Amino acid sequence: MNPIDEVTQELQKIPWFQELKPEHLRQFAEISFLRHYKAGEVFFHEGDKQDYFYIVLSGRVALDLFIPHRGKIRFYTCEQWDNFGWSSVTPVVRTRTAGAVGVVDGIVIATDTDKLQALCDRDHDIGYLFMRRMVNVIASRLLVTRLQLLDMFAEPTETKTDE
Amino acid sequence: MTTTLIDTASHQAGFENKLLMPAWAEVVKITPEAEGVTTFALRFTDPEVQKRYRWEPGQFNMLYVPGYGEAAISMSSDVSSSNGLVIHTIRQAASVTKATNRLRPGDVVGLRGPFGSSWPLEAIRGMDVVIACGGIGLPPLRGALYAIMREREKYGKVTLLYGARTPKDLMYPDEYETWNKAGIEVQATVDRGDETWTGRVGVVPMLFYHFRVDPHKTAVLTCGPEIMMRFVIYEALARRIPASQIYVSLERNMRCGQGFCGHCQMGPYFICKDGPVFPFNRLGPFFNVEEY
Repeated sequence: MNPIDEVTQELQKIPWFQELKPEHLRQFAEISFLRHYKAGEVFFHEGDKQDYFYIVLSGRVALDLFIPHRGKIRFYTCEQWDNFGWSSVTPVVRTRTAGAVGVVDGIVIATDTDKLQALCDRDHDIGYLFMRRMVNVIASRLLVTRLQLLDMFAEPTETKTDE
Repeated sequence: MTTTLIDTASHQAGFENKLLMPAWAEVVKITPEAEGVTTFALRFTDPEVQKRYRWEPGQFNMLYVPGYGEAAISMSSDVSSSNGLVIHTIRQAASVTKATNRLRPGDVVGLRGPFGSSWPLEAIRGMDVVIACGGIGLPPLRGALYAIMREREKYGKVTLLYGARTPKDLMYPDEYETWNKAGIEVQATVDRGDETWTGRVGVVPMLFYHFRVDPHKTAVLTCGPEIMMRFVIYEALARRIPASQIYVSLERNMRCGQGFCGHCQMGPYFICKDGPVFPFNRLGPFFNVEEY
């Protein structure tokens, strides 16, 4: 099987890609490739130039930030069909805002960001579907971030339970 | 049991009419679980009380630390295999629970209970079960986990979704393998991890994204920070799991344990007597209302 067919086959398994027409799937596959990664393998560091958008097919990838005196803090992990590197398709963010590293061996689909943007600009049907998916991703990340910021597991106030 | 609501009086096996008087219990063993969280194994000093004491997973005791006061603490052990000991896992959060730090084996505390409703383990037989909990919300569900494991064939797929702030805050980590082997799929996540953590990082409600549910035959049992439970409920309802199949354990300012004092009132309910375990269809109108 040639690489494009291989990517197409994997894309067809992803629920949100099932809305795409076959020609759109093909166009997406043409700008993408499968990447096998190992635990500990770095996809990118914070500050790197944006180049690829990733969809996890298997394994686990952690997003992290380096904090002085605390080291690298992992704040999110991506698993099957989750995306990372999505900010690379926004017009404003031009460098990575976090690092990404494999923590469990697996496979991702890597998609060339510049070509993806061009594809979305050229064909608004695929652009709309892709951006709608991105809104879902951003909304769920926002929720996770909000709950993390709220520090759900902080100690309750003195009066809450045992006073 | 077909409902989560229990006639409290019928569950006072060891206390008869002494619901307002604590029975003394000796601290037999102390086990640190995580930072600021400790498990205490207690045995009643009166053998008669010890013999007659019965409880169901999800219920709680009012634990009295002499000189400090009482706190409502759920039982956190297996009903049938704790050698008659009452096990409480306590987070040292406020004055009474912080005072438990001073306890040593041989010290004595007071116990009133058991109080409240329990997890509906009979009503959910035959169903898939999602147990979603966070932080100190796991201990009140641990007894339910062991009860399910004991009769594993009577339940469908059982999944434990558990979250904590950091990896070192995860409770009972040594037991996860046992639970997995017993047919409970354990999915743990933390809010933030360091470079050595290879598990999940994220929040409990998002764990729903990693598996499919059959809404009509799935029950959800949830306990933990109320904000976490709120979003667990949203995720469950979004998957069309009926509110009557979502069970929530609430924590409020329990005092008397019998619905007399009103400290834990929430709408028409007293959490200590009508709860702490509620099906969400009963709780819905009063849940997440600021005044409550």
